[in-house]
Amino acid sequence: MTLRTRHVVAAVLLFCALAGSLWSPARAADTTIKIQVKDQVQVDGKSKKIPVAGVSVSVVDASGAEMGAGVTDDKGIFVVALPGPGDYTITLDESTLPTGTALTAQTPAVRQVKADDFITANLTINYFTGEANRTTKSFIDKLAQRTTDGARLGLIIAMCSVGLSLIFGTTGLTNFAHGEMVTFGGLVAFLFNVSWGVPLWIAAPVVIVLGGLFGLVLDAGIFGPLRRRGIGLVSQLVVSVGLSILLKNFFLYRFGGRVRPLKDYSLQTSWKIGPVDITPRDFTTAVLSLVVLVAVALAIQRSRLGKATRAVSDNPDLASSTGIDSQQIIRIVWFIGGALAALGGIFRGLDEGVGPDMGADLLFLMFAGITLGGLGSAFGALIGGFIVGLFVEVCTLFGVPTELKKVPALVVLVLVLLVRPQGILGRRERVG
Amino acid sequence: MNWSNIFEATLSAFFGVNAMYYAIAAIGLNVQFGYTGLLNFGQAGFMACGAYGLGMTAHYFQISFWWGIAIGIGYAVVLGLIMGVPTLRLRADYLAIVTIAVAEVIRLIVRSVRFKVYVGGSDGINEFSASYRRLSPYVESGRYPLSPFKAEGAVPYVMLAAMLAIGLVLGAATWNKLGKRFPSVPQRAGVGLTGVVWMLVLIAASLRVEYTGYSLWTVTVGWTLVAIFSVFVWLLMRSPWGRVLKAIREDEDAVRSLGKNVYSYKMQALILGGVIATFAGMMFSVERGSVQPDNYSRDLTFYVLTALVLGGAAKISGSIVGPMLFWGILAFADVFLNELVKSNGGSVEVFGIQLIGNISQVGQIQLMLVGLLLILLMVFRPQGLFGNRKEMALDGR
Repeated sequence: MTLRTRHVVAAVLLFCALAGSLWSPARAADTTIKIQVKDQVQVDGKSKKIPVAGVSVSVVDASGAEMGAGVTDDKGIFVVALPGPGDYTITLDESTLPTGTALTAQTPAVRQVKADDFITANLTINYFTGEANRTTKSFIDKLAQRTTDGARLGLIIAMCSVGLSLIFGTTGLTNFAHGEMVTFGGLVAFLFNVSWGVPLWIAAPVVIVLGGLFGLVLDAGIFGPLRRRGIGLVSQLVVSVGLSILLKNFFLYRFGGRVRPLKDYSLQTSWKIGPVDITPRDFTTAVLSLVVLVAVALAIQRSRLGKATRAVSDNPDLASSTGIDSQQIIRIVWFIGGALAALGGIFRGLDEGVGPDMGADLLFLMFAGITLGGLGSAFGALIGGFIVGLFVEVCTLFGVPTELKKVPALVVLVLVLLVRPQGILGRRERVG
Repeated sequence: MNWSNIFEATLSAFFGVNAMYYAIAAIGLNVQFGYTGLLNFGQAGFMACGAYGLGMTAHYFQISFWWGIAIGIGYAVVLGLIMGVPTLRLRADYLAIVTIAVAEVIRLIVRSVRFKVYVGGSDGINEFSASYRRLSPYVESGRYPLSPFKAEGAVPYVMLAAMLAIGLVLGAATWNKLGKRFPSVPQRAGVGLTGVVWMLVLIAASLRVEYTGYSLWTVTVGWTLVAIFSVFVWLLMRSPWGRVLKAIREDEDAVRSLGKNVYSYKMQALILGGVIATFAGMMFSVERGSVQPDNYSRDLTFYVLTALVLGGAAKISGSIVGPMLFWGILAFADVFLNELVKSNGGSVEVFGIQLIGNISQVGQIQLMLVGLLLILLMVFRPQGLFGNRKEMALDGR
């Protein structure tokens, strides 16, 4: 759709200009740092430099305030406007380099510049990656690294899809706006952390509660009344599509189209655990995700509320007749689903940066996960989401290009539907 | 605020290129969603089939342009099978999930570096519509006003007659009686009168619209295709085959108990709707002379769906008027908001709150309105403008 594409491109460009002007309040935007990332390769015995796009870089000043952050463009360039010459730290996020490449020893990831380095107003910082420096890891080592990355992605997908699956189980709604609930978490976290400077560990609980309230509002404002009016599930599904368009463009309208990193925990050096490189941040989010997911699983299995939820999932009428307030359960499910989606959004934002499409990009993986696990089952969503995340990352080792890593998830989805449409944990009668 | 600008943009959007290819895609979606109750969220994928069928033929296979149409249809049939085989035996929302996923994966594959040599990567395929342009009877750079009063010879009479015919069809559709007889004189008079009113609207709409020879050729071919597909689908849905489709939408089990192969009928409907949508993709790509992978994102599917629901699903008139109105509303919002921003010196404030800080936000507000429109329609008027509420009481369980 060109109309939209055109607007988005215009939005991105304008937003960059706008953001640039915000970051340099003195309007002396003629001082810049140009960051170039290039890959040195040997072609026919000659050395060539090829620009590397999509690498995250950031610039902070001496006080630690961020001057600019973003990803390199098609020419491998990212330009940061600055208030004037001064001491700055430039950091390149090595995990965003293309798989199999590494920075050369001459150009480390973290670079310091001093005011004296600005001979002209425009300073160019070069990063080179190279064939010679490509880390030659054994297959087992690569597998361990991919499995770790996959497990982290799988945990995030599992966390986001629990709500999707529980909402489906208790109300029958396939919520196409669930991705936007994830985006909501990421963007609100950005608002707290970057715009207002609240440390993320304080902001995160608030964001999670807000995410839950957002779920409640969606239920109380839209889907609850639709259920009470007896509107068909397919119509409700189409309403959720409309909601997804509305929310996504609202995020784009308030936030702009760019993907931006959260402020806290962004500059970290990796730990080496055996063959695996993992930053303390990623390690912590993975452990926290695991704790939350185990807690959710236990709550569903053991607590009265969890049992009531499963009862409503199985048969709402029967559950109501045994004295369970099924409308109350549905509200709680929306709250918990929204809260978990928001937490998933924060973790995903720490990993890949936040932007208006971050949740919608995950939606398809979430659907693959809950279909694999069994639509409507919370355990199924946990297991299925985890497997799908692991699978798409590990697949890149077996010849699947990184840009196509969602394709194996589709293959999983289609195969599951052909062989066992009820999923691993689903019940057969749900499907027919 | 330049109101004549706003109305001109709105009215020309009614018959514009966008409304045309949305109408073709909506006719296809109508076969699937409106008549059979299939939630196909991968219409963009089918459109991409047509576009890439043409583009790859002319650019890579180096064979005649016309083979591209056949190849595009072939792609669509294969795509329909991929989407349908795993899902059509299952509940409705599985089809929605798989179609949206397949369409997205197609977009990822055609824009990937790995397959760039075959399909052009994120740059797409360009400059392949020479054969199509050579067929045009119009002077490519000439100016062609749509108003019947500016043409010469017999053309104005033909145009007026066509407008009257379209007006009468719209009139009958307005009375919601298309396909029925109008026995009493007052009923016929009512339809006739509404038809004349519609004709006057059409004439008013055409007065200031002017096409270049190139876009007039696209508009001619496109709206001819819309007419052909409309009649084709209308006839099909009156046939026993079409009645089975509608019965599947209403009660699948009942149809199965009558010995019909529901799975096969659903598959036929999915593929037929997809094949019609490939023509939308073909028109879209030849008009630009280029195929861009990111044009075929899932948002395209959702906008076509919104346009169809606006007009009224399970109605031929709905699938034509819906896209026209959809683009009319979009164009109105676009030009209106742009004028508003311009006349307010670059930003719009209401009660001290900045609503629009820069012009790019106009596009986002426009698309927020699309989402809101879809929600409001599904909640308060699921039958759209022309539909029948009973036909849109869809339920997946």
